[in-house]
Amino acid sequence: MALTTPLTTRATLANARGQAWITKPMLITLGLLLTFPLWAEAVGLYPYLGIEVVIWMLYALGYNLLLGYTGLPSFGQGAFFGIGAYAYGLCYLGTHNPLVALLCAGLVGGLGAALVACFVAHRRGIYFALLTIACGQVFWFVSMKWHSLTGGEDGLLNIHRPDLHLGTLTVPLKDNVALFYFVVAVLAVAIVFLWRLVHSPFGKALQAIRMNETRARFVGYNVWLTKWTVVTLSGVFAGLSGGLLAISQESAYPDVMNVHGSGFIVMATLIGGGTVSFWGPVLGALVFIVARDLLGALTETWLLWYGLLFMGVVLFQPEGIAGAYLHYKGKLARRLSAAPPKLQEEAPNGSL
Amino acid sequence: MLPHLVNGIALGILFGLLALGFMLIVGVMEVINLAHGSLFALGAYVAMEIVNPGWLGGLSAGYLGLPLALRYALALTLAPVVIGLVGVGLERCIRRTYGKKAEYGLLLTFGAALVLEEGIRIVWGPGEKNLPVPEAVNGGFATGELIYSKYRFFAAFLGMVLMALVWLFLERTPYGARVKAGAHDSEMVRALGINIGRLRVFVFALGAALASLAGIILTPIWGLRPHVGVDAVIPSFLIIVLGGVGSFWGAVIAGLLVGITVGLTGGYAAEWSVMSMYLLLIFVLSFRARGLMGKKSALEA
Amino acid sequence: MKTLLRTALALSALLVLGASCKKKDDAATGEGPKAGAAKPILIGITADSSGQYANSGDSDKRGVLMAIEEWNAKGGLLGRPIKSVHLDTETTPATGSRVAERMIKQDKVAFIVGGVSSGVANAISQVAQKYGVIYLNTNSSSPSESGENCHRVKFVWDGNGNNFAQAAVKSAMGTFGKRWLLITNDYGWGHDTANATKKLVSENGGTIVGELLVPQGTRDFSAILLKAQQKSPEVVAAAVGGDDLKAMRAQVSQMKLGEKYAWLNNQQDWPDVYGLPRTDMFGVFGTTWYQGLDLPGVKDFIARYKKANADATIKTPGNVFYNGYWATRALFEAVDRAKTTNSHAVIKELEKTKIPAAVRMQHHDATMNPNTHQLQQTIYLAKANLQSNDPDELFKILSNTAPDQVVDKESEGKCKLEPFDATPVYEP
Repeated sequence: MALTTPLTTRATLANARGQAWITKPMLITLGLLLTFPLWAEAVGLYPYLGIEVVIWMLYALGYNLLLGYTGLPSFGQGAFFGIGAYAYGLCYLGTHNPLVALLCAGLVGGLGAALVACFVAHRRGIYFALLTIACGQVFWFVSMKWHSLTGGEDGLLNIHRPDLHLGTLTVPLKDNVALFYFVVAVLAVAIVFLWRLVHSPFGKALQAIRMNETRARFVGYNVWLTKWTVVTLSGVFAGLSGGLLAISQESAYPDVMNVHGSGFIVMATLIGGGTVSFWGPVLGALVFIVARDLLGALTETWLLWYGLLFMGVVLFQPEGIAGAYLHYKGKLARRLSAAPPKLQEEAPNGSL
Repeated sequence: MLPHLVNGIALGILFGLLALGFMLIVGVMEVINLAHGSLFALGAYVAMEIVNPGWLGGLSAGYLGLPLALRYALALTLAPVVIGLVGVGLERCIRRTYGKKAEYGLLLTFGAALVLEEGIRIVWGPGEKNLPVPEAVNGGFATGELIYSKYRFFAAFLGMVLMALVWLFLERTPYGARVKAGAHDSEMVRALGINIGRLRVFVFALGAALASLAGIILTPIWGLRPHVGVDAVIPSFLIIVLGGVGSFWGAVIAGLLVGITVGLTGGYAAEWSVMSMYLLLIFVLSFRARGLMGKKSALEA
Repeated sequence: MKTLLRTALALSALLVLGASCKKKDDAATGEGPKAGAAKPILIGITADSSGQYANSGDSDKRGVLMAIEEWNAKGGLLGRPIKSVHLDTETTPATGSRVAERMIKQDKVAFIVGGVSSGVANAISQVAQKYGVIYLNTNSSSPSESGENCHRVKFVWDGNGNNFAQAAVKSAMGTFGKRWLLITNDYGWGHDTANATKKLVSENGGTIVGELLVPQGTRDFSAILLKAQQKSPEVVAAAVGGDDLKAMRAQVSQMKLGEKYAWLNNQQDWPDVYGLPRTDMFGVFGTTWYQGLDLPGVKDFIARYKKANADATIKTPGNVFYNGYWATRALFEAVDRAKTTNSHAVIKELEKTKIPAAVRMQHHDATMNPNTHQLQQTIYLAKANLQSNDPDELFKILSNTAPDQVVDKESEGKCKLEPFDATPVYEP
């Protein structure tokens, strides 16, 4: 395919690695996460924070399909996150089956996204952002207004954490550590799925659209359908993570759905370096949530520092942590051997 | 019916004014200025300081002796200049994102909005403040069914004057023509030898100044608190999307449309008055995907 | 691969660094006597420092801190120094959940105190109930807090919308007239309050000429005020809250409608109105306390406030500060009586709370309702004090109503406290 030609050695290697189902970074990430409850307290963290970090990792990974891979700056992703939380809550209160309810959260999140996608799939750039904000606000407003269903501004309460029955195994989700392992398991499945997805022909189509939508259309991709599908798919992930958040908070609130809530996921993804690496969103969610927790304890003006951090990242390191890492690694490699020039910007989908 | 319609139109003019600065920046700079709301709030706070400078100490006695109307007029002219300068500073940051991905500008202004809002909170405290208006335009009058605030008419009148000035500037001055050309096709403008960098600084300053004017005019109605800008940025969005990006008349007509819709629903089905804005948006976008006056824009590329 | 490990290491180092910073912060907040002798008792303060209720959150926190300081000066609680940790709940329920989890699981606080927004208070109390940690909702005036969302571990220290409505309706009916119009915020709290008003108005022989629903987030009240004008009421009872109320206040004052009808507003929190011009404060409103009450002890309380809060922009204590202070103080007194921090024992003592009027600087004794966990206290009606320009002499108190006159029976019917055996025992 014509689009792969500019990718040279390093990227080809990445592609080769992309063929694998399980990769080393995956194992390391999961290894660190799985041992987290053992060393969390030692570094001043707590299991519940881990739950939120992992949920945000899932949320950000799904979002990066849009921002990093397709180049679609959606500013209304919070809506699907919130919808997922409500869907989980309502479905759980109806069925008392957490797995069914979680499935429900993903589906309804995807459904909402599919609806929005119909309005936005033929847009790109700033216009896309503008429309997603407007759509997100509509969902947010409806959730505040529809008091009988969502509980309005007080939120949907009393979604008690259940026991999870998996065959003979019973997981008491009441316990934060047990719930943590459950969300890590969901994340693990999602990582493998997303990794395969972005290295599939569909993933290539997304990148083609990001690089040049017109060219992608000429090459023969159905651009509208591809964009519609990716918006919907990332909505499924947002809904799923929203459902997990509803489990962990035992409630669903409208606040995550407004433009601030949506802005935060863009920030998390960007800080991590979602535009240059598959693992960017994972790093970003970690830094974002942990920094928020620590700053919130240190200062009452944390929003000021957050705002400055965002501005700094955009101004000086728009490729985020992963970008800085790749840059540093590229420099190192060049110094060690007269290696070929760096190609980071061509490998947003590559691997770390 | 008539009182609600009059009310809606007055409201619509204010909405149009609110969206105007936002529209200029989106149109020319291709930046969604999420700090629009914070500049709106900052403008009102600065105006409050000009009307009532608490920090002047002994010097203020003489100044405060001046009539309120004079100090108010001073605030109305000076505050936009100050905020325009803030806008220039913000543009210096945004400059770094030109030619990169379009969303960087949006993200940068998102960060700036947080910083400005928190800055206001640090300087002026989190509480409710009050921007006094001259007694001549304060108060209300009642005639039969109609009761109306003098200030509301004054604000609508001021809004119309400002909109007319912006229109005259865009349509009747050579610089306005450049701004419009920039909104249409910045490559072409550059090719014609116009200094696009300076044009952008100017447009951003103008947009910021307009945001602050909207703040000064609207906060006596909405009340003044650090996060009041959040209330401003959402209607601006709706109006821009509804009217079509980069269109002056789009913004004005969409503003009026939203105002009338909110005014009428407020009169007959008040519980839907906020929601009606969004419903209007969805309705229009279903039929006209680029908004009312939107043409195929360079922004979509 | 190696570099990846190095990054991971660097990241962990960063986290450790962050954590150690936080520990320093904890140590700095407490100023207990003879620290180190006994294990300190840590109070988690969940006041909003950002968002819609940041202003009230600040007053709330100052009230809690003054009570802690006073107790530490007296030798601490059960001989243990009291320390505190404050985390911003951002007026956002989801943050409230995380903060509560963090306080309980990581900071290991003994009690959680603070709340202005009912959404945040709900979120915190759900987590607190899960672990059996006592939570004091100091300042949320939503009736649902002691109604359908009540919890065994949660105690509510503010008067609620229903209490204020009862106090207001009874006295306004005679003075102002029988034609009532309601302006109601279209969400839970607004409807609860409006329903209480409606019931009382018809019980007392008045007529409701209309109810105007105002969606949350309304910034423009002109259409509403136009409609109100067309209904020509004698009394307008507004159950409008938060920023909506602030916008409405500005517009009513602008149109000079404040004197045209008798306006009844719900509670007006001191931090929300402090510093506003007199003309912006229209009508009659409720409060639980005012610094100008002519009661013994008030002067001393104001002096203590000024000494402890020299940096505050609000120069005199208001109802929000008062509620924060008294909730914390009553908790300490309950712990002293229980002689333990065991949560069940302290809950039982808190349920027996009875504070004499003279001590609380109110006109009537205050008692804790053991069935709803809401403090039953004096409700004052006030209006703007037009005789003075002093920013602190803002209110003129019109009446005081004894707690038994304004009992919120609706909530009592809805509240089902969890039994003790379904509430975990927590002993920090």
